[in-house]
Amino acid sequence: MEIRRQGTRPFSPKWVKWEVFVVNFSSNQNDVVAAADDLRRRTLAHLPLALERLIYLASTRDYNTGLYHHDGLAQRYSEAAACEGLANCHRESFQELLAASLEELVRQLQAYADSLGALSSNFVTAWKELEPYRVAVPVGTDPLAAEFVFSNLKVALTIFERRLFQPLRAPLA
Amino acid sequence: MIALLFYIGAAVCLFVLMYALARPHRAPVEGIANQFVAARGSLQTLQQGLLPTNLLNRIFDRRDLDYIDGQAAPDIRRLFLSQRQAISLMWIRRVRSEILNLLHFHRSHSRFHTNISILTEIRLALDFAGLLFVCRILETIFSWRGPYAAPRLVQSVATAASRLCTASEKSLAFLKVPGVSAFRGDSTPGNAAV
Repeated sequence: MEIRRQGTRPFSPKWVKWEVFVVNFSSNQNDVVAAADDLRRRTLAHLPLALERLIYLASTRDYNTGLYHHDGLAQRYSEAAACEGLANCHRESFQELLAASLEELVRQLQAYADSLGALSSNFVTAWKELEPYRVAVPVGTDPLAAEFVFSNLKVALTIFERRLFQPLRAPLA
Repeated sequence: MIALLFYIGAAVCLFVLMYALARPHRAPVEGIANQFVAARGSLQTLQQGLLPTNLLNRIFDRRDLDYIDGQAAPDIRRLFLSQRQAISLMWIRRVRSEILNLLHFHRSHSRFHTNISILTEIRLALDFAGLLFVCRILETIFSWRGPYAAPRLVQSVATAASRLCTASEKSLAFLKVPGVSAFRGDSTPGNAAV
């Protein structure tokens, strides 16, 4: 598998950090589609929230190379097909999160925190301070879309935190 | 004598002016290619990153504001509005910047490569100028009144920008090579499928 690093917009400094890793696959497109379907049916089916899927899929990506790894998928198909299948699913879950309303995002955060089994207060503190969602964005995402999701997550976290630590007053009539 | 010097001076000035106007501009091949690629990049950014309807609907969706109002927490409302204002300002500034890139491209190169009538050029110039002006107005409105102050203007900016993208796409159409996607994949080392 040959990996080529390519800047999408070499003439615009804004885009320099949004480099795209182009992977020259020796696998064919059918394998990629099959690997992505397999992933959706087996692993992702157990993760009902788009937020969960985004965090999980980002965790399968190597920080140093930007490539995705999944042993099971790689054995069944090929390393390259698994990588591209994971990348496709990652982009899908990001798009789902982008389309989610603020209300839906608060609900997802709450459900995600519950599913972790950790103290919700610890979760909120860690997410507010470390902002782990910032490294969970698929490569090549437009900065506006990424910032929009970050901004929504920041507001959603504040609402979630408020619900944890002090009960909300009755909504305005 | 003074009159003679005056005429000689005027002649020299005219000669220098004509030489400056007639001198061919230095335009290295790679320089022109850079401008084409930059224009293509701006076009892609606008079409795929800044103008998709679903993204705009989400950014300026009032239901989020209604939900926040339902929380009855003024500090959360302030946070939400400041966040959404920052996003809407980022959007309009980037739209304006990419439109400016396309304008520079049109002004300098597109006329040499496509057959555009004078009327079309004038209309295009007016469209660019109008859109850039409206972008500035919208930026001011976002700064002063927040992201939900001018939904119709947002819509009209998006529509006008899309129209200019379509016009620019025609000028850059030759950069799209239809067969290139077919060359990717399906090749194994030593046994190219191309």
